[in-house]
Amino acid sequence: MAQIMNVIEATGRWVRFRIEEAGRAGRFIEEAARATVSLRSWFPNATLQMRRLGVDSLPIGLLIAVFTGIVLALLASYSFTGAVPLYFVGTLVEKTITLELAPVLTGLALAGRVGANIAAELGTMRVTEQVDALETLAYDPDAYLVVPRVFAGTLMFPLIVGVAMIVGLGAGWLASIGFLQLSTDEFLKGARMFYTAFDVEYGLVKAASFGFAVTLIGCYKGLRARGGAEGVGNAATAAVVYSAVMILVLDAFWAMTWLHGRS
Amino acid sequence: MKRGNDFIVGLVVIGSVVAIVLFSLWLSQASLGSKEKDVVARFTDVGNAKVGNSVVIRGVQAGRIQSIELETTGWVLVKMSLDQDIKLPSNPVVVLSESSMFGEWQATIMERSAAPDDADVQQQLAQSAAVGRGNAIPGARLPDIAQLTAVAGRIAGDMSRVADRFQVAFDDRAAAELRQSIRNFADLSAELERTVRSQSQSLSQLGADVHKTVGTINATAVAVQRTADRVDSSTSKGQIHQIMDNVGQASEDIKVTSHDLRDASHSLMATQQQLSSVLTHADSVLGKIDRGQGSLGMMVNDPTLYQNGDALLSQMRELVAEIRAHPRQYLSVKIF
Repeated sequence: MAQIMNVIEATGRWVRFRIEEAGRAGRFIEEAARATVSLRSWFPNATLQMRRLGVDSLPIGLLIAVFTGIVLALLASYSFTGAVPLYFVGTLVEKTITLELAPVLTGLALAGRVGANIAAELGTMRVTEQVDALETLAYDPDAYLVVPRVFAGTLMFPLIVGVAMIVGLGAGWLASIGFLQLSTDEFLKGARMFYTAFDVEYGLVKAASFGFAVTLIGCYKGLRARGGAEGVGNAATAAVVYSAVMILVLDAFWAMTWLHGRS
Repeated sequence: MKRGNDFIVGLVVIGSVVAIVLFSLWLSQASLGSKEKDVVARFTDVGNAKVGNSVVIRGVQAGRIQSIELETTGWVLVKMSLDQDIKLPSNPVVVLSESSMFGEWQATIMERSAAPDDADVQQQLAQSAAVGRGNAIPGARLPDIAQLTAVAGRIAGDMSRVADRFQVAFDDRAAAELRQSIRNFADLSAELERTVRSQSQSLSQLGADVHKTVGTINATAVAVQRTADRVDSSTSKGQIHQIMDNVGQASEDIKVTSHDLRDASHSLMATQQQLSSVLTHADSVLGKIDRGQGSLGMMVNDPTLYQNGDALLSQMRELVAEIRAHPRQYLSVKIF
């Protein structure tokens, strides 16, 4: 009986903790949104964050896109051989890159790089009481630390993903010419056959939502860090895990709400 | 440092945005700066046609589908953007169809008379044309692969059911009857072959006769044609009238000649009667001569006169010879 009571108590405690966490996250988002009004506090830092989170992340995003494009072309060729005309390699590469792989793979890579970076930086500031110092000096940590990062992530993720789409399709095209003996005209015929502007639009909007989620989670976990270096490490790990999960959740969310049922 | 960040970030943002926009336009084959014209077609159903599908004229891509809108009246309006220079057929219609077996559709603009001779398509075009609102071109869509496959599947199901029923109905007795039927059919076939061979020979002969007759008819037709041509040429210059006048004149002449002949006939009859009388008299005279009656009869029947005449002639010849031999004895000629 006592054990049953313990189990029930643990379950209640877990639920209460999750609800409190959700409440804190909600309050954090609400405070960050309110802080966007203080343009003078965050806008001067936005450029620096765009450089660190966006421009410096371009190489990893493009590297992923290159290999994704090559693999997709070869995979499509392997799947289509003898059944489907080979120019559909272009169709598959275009659709897959723009709709799914460029946003998701780039998002996951940036979740590791950007999310961990933000969580570690802000966590260190928290455990070394630099955030407290800011508050003491009447700086709003949300406006000064969170908003520029979220703004930079939301703005720069789509740009990185957009360039990754171009590079990925180009890599698939080169792989088709080099490995599949597919002509440029055939590849472009397949790529253009079912292309609509919605493909790029959908991928970019998804990327923006990923950037928003990754930076927000990184900031939240970093500012919630406790207990020194270990706490910072835990915050970075949690930021990456939550960001990756959130990217997949958002991916499914957009597919169900925007892609599904669209003719 | 900050200015450096601003520059790099600005460069990346502007470069990325421009690259993404150009990438999208390039993939969608958008024609920047070129003039385009819009063409609207009305359909009852557009199948799986989508915005961005190709618009084709005589097999050449001429544009793309720009929008597909469902009207409150139930019609579907498809707006297509074509190159400005493209000239539409005089009586255009738009036919939506699959361009490949993988679900890609296209809109083909063609002459109304070149539309597929399918009852459903023709009905769709007629209904669309009957609406007649605005400048919308009549449109129709061909059935897609899925529909054709569904029909084929239905047919396959029906055939399967028929096969099942056939299997049930085809027992040993049916097989024996079928064998007997086949045997009877073989006999019938042999008989039919003989009949056909016989009829074939008759038909060959008949054909030859018909061919010959046709040749004759052709020759006759040619002659009739020639005569008709002549009649036609004669008619054209008034010779018929002249001929008829001549015929009338000839008739009059024949009438007169006939009258003269009748008179001559009467005269001839009189002459014949006279001749008969003369011959009767001549016969009587000759009979008398032959009987030796009269002077002529005696002359003919009595040889004495001939003999005396002959003797006289002999004497005359002797006398002439004597005179020639001794002319001075019988002739004395004196001058002065």
